[in-house]
Amino acid sequence: MLDEPLRILIAAIICWLNFMTIDLIFRLPHSGGVSGATAIAQEVEKGGGKLNGGFMMGNIVSSPDASAGTLLASCGVYCAGLPGGLFAALLVYIGNRICYDPGYAGTTGCITATFIVYGATQIGFVASDFIAGMVIAILTIQGISYVHASRLVARLWKVRCRFIPEDKP
Amino acid sequence: MDEFIMIACSGLVLIGMTAAILHRDPFDKLISLSILIAGIFPFIVDRGYLDVAAATALIAPLSTIFILMVCRRETA
Amino acid sequence: MIAIYICAGIAVYAAIRIIAEHNTMRKLPFLNVVSFAVTGIIALLMPHPITIAAAAAYFVGSTLESNAIASTWSGGIKKDG
Repeated sequence: MLDEPLRILIAAIICWLNFMTIDLIFRLPHSGGVSGATAIAQEVEKGGGKLNGGFMMGNIVSSPDASAGTLLASCGVYCAGLPGGLFAALLVYIGNRICYDPGYAGTTGCITATFIVYGATQIGFVASDFIAGMVIAILTIQGISYVHASRLVARLWKVRCRFIPEDKP
Repeated sequence: MDEFIMIACSGLVLIGMTAAILHRDPFDKLISLSILIAGIFPFIVDRGYLDVAAATALIAPLSTIFILMVCRRETA
Repeated sequence: MIAIYICAGIAVYAAIRIIAEHNTMRKLPFLNVVSFAVTGIIALLMPHPITIAAAAAYFVGSTLESNAIASTWSGGIKKDG
């Protein structure tokens, strides 16, 4: 049984890897889903960032994607166990439909995060660690420096395009 | 809810209020108002009024959308 | 118990960053951080099954608000130019 700050740090790393992997697989940095996401990406590029990272930041702002799915799945598992997480996946899907989004990234991220969090609670973690960990993980992408975060996302997007070459940016 | 959370949420409300007074641009005012509304929610949920919280969470964006129609008509 | 303190601290930090940023569109990612943190606070305050619905309603409402602000802002700029 680890201490609580160490558990929160490990949970933050797990959440970061989960939502970043699913967002890259579902091609969020490829283009803006709505016109607001494109506007945010252009402003980020004007301020010195990269355009692909800006698209991803704009998509996270303007529709619930895998990061929101991870947060709400942690809340669901914290409040009501495994059925709570699956109910949160349904709510994320409805929220995606409200925001004019297909909703595959958010729902997939929510379902995978439900099983990850539920599995982690069986080996000594608490679900509240994952809520705080997800807030820290979204802070590193959206809240510290948009220039460095968008460059990091653009670099990861290049790596992803090298592995799956048929859909280039 | 202990003192630190209460001070933090009151801080959110006060920051939002000050920013909404000081900004000139209507979009900046709307963003400041949404900080203010974010600070109110933990107080509603802490008393146990979850239905009031859900209703307020759905009414507040609708009012923002109606204000945005006026903003767009002025800028266009 | 440290988890809710982290969420509250991050919410206040992001609100201060919103005031310090002057570009309107670049304020919206920080507003997203505030809504993440407040959703975490809501879920951590009341562990009850209906809390999931309240937290999801707050999060979706906040996202819809950001979406509407960003879309209207970009539409207004296009009409001007």
